[in-house]
Amino acid sequence: MRPILLSGHERALTQVKYNADGDIIFSVSKDHVVCAWFSHNGERLGTYHGHQGALWTVDVSPNSEMLATGGADNTIRLWEVKTSKLLKTWDFATSIKRVEFSPDGRQLLGVTEKRSGHLGSIVVYDIDLDIEAEQTSEQALRIVCDESKATVAGFSYGARYIIAGHEDGSVSQYDAKTGELIFNTQVHEPDMMVTDLQWSPDRTYFITASKDKSAKLLTTNDLEVLKTYQTDTPLNSAAITPVKDYVILGGGQAAMDVTTTSARQGKFEARFYHKIFMEEIGRVRGHFGPLNYVAVHPKGTGYASGGEDGYVRVHHFDKPYFDFMYEVEREQANL
Amino acid sequence: QDLSKKNTANRQVVEQRRRLLEEWKAWREQMAEMLEEEGIVDEKLEIAKQKDGEGEIEEIE
Repeated sequence: MRPILLSGHERALTQVKYNADGDIIFSVSKDHVVCAWFSHNGERLGTYHGHQGALWTVDVSPNSEMLATGGADNTIRLWEVKTSKLLKTWDFATSIKRVEFSPDGRQLLGVTEKRSGHLGSIVVYDIDLDIEAEQTSEQALRIVCDESKATVAGFSYGARYIIAGHEDGSVSQYDAKTGELIFNTQVHEPDMMVTDLQWSPDRTYFITASKDKSAKLLTTNDLEVLKTYQTDTPLNSAAITPVKDYVILGGGQAAMDVTTTSARQGKFEARFYHKIFMEEIGRVRGHFGPLNYVAVHPKGTGYASGGEDGYVRVHHFDKPYFDFMYEVEREQANL
Repeated sequence: QDLSKKNTANRQVVEQRRRLLEEWKAWREQMAEMLEEEGIVDEKLEIAKQKDGEGEIEEIE
């Protein structure tokens, strides 16, 4: 599994995303630049210029025509993927920590940062799928997070719910039509930030990563914790692999945060756990700093990790990865 | 005696995994039914179909 190194960013990567077909990877970094790459060979396809600050988040629409980005310049921007043309800029009072399209691409949500005088919020815009259309400035919805700010959020199956992870380690379920909070539950350890939330392919469940060194698999409908993956390092990201029943976790302690009592510096590895049995099955090394994001190819053929070291590493899984089976899985497969 | 203890432990691990796998499969089936009842379509499949549709139109032209 020899990785392809995408070197084009000058500072830490913050998020990487595959498009629905898996042939393109989008990456954002603290260097203000958005990059698009061919996933099979790592060739750079294009860049999107305009942001005036560090970028925290990127998402591509389901039909791969539009790209949304957000960052420290307090804007969400919408781009045409093909031409790099800026289609829309939405301005805010604080930075944007997360953007995500709904499953049908007709809505876009953004998570805004909390700052003195400004509560954190989740905003939703209706998106006109016509690339030539003037996009609306009107918010379809604005959810104010007055308890604990949201750090991550996304749309459930059918865009029925908005699920958010919070700074205090809790997870919320909102009605995506009305913005009403349905319920909030403490999933991770108190005051241990939820750092990532990624969906299963059908969005009936999702995985959260937290600074409490664990990742958890939750049901969309009841926010019930189905599985817990315990590690020995603060986590920044967690992804669910299709095809094989694995999850990939990324994190690591930055050198400046490592205490003298810490046994080993770094631990900058992607960790693979069996999704159902919750056992660690392997690690992939390579980054020289914490992994800030891991993304899985939508067809389950590989994954990409974005590191604090400024690199994106793209891995194509090889045969042993697909062949590996627990004895009980083999039994089931032979039934 | 040690060997029989080990075998018992191994069997327990395997049985536990079997149980977890069955539980998971049952829950997945339940979710698939729920999505079908709710009339939730797979957007990615829909988009793929649309793309195929566009391709056909181009051929006609």
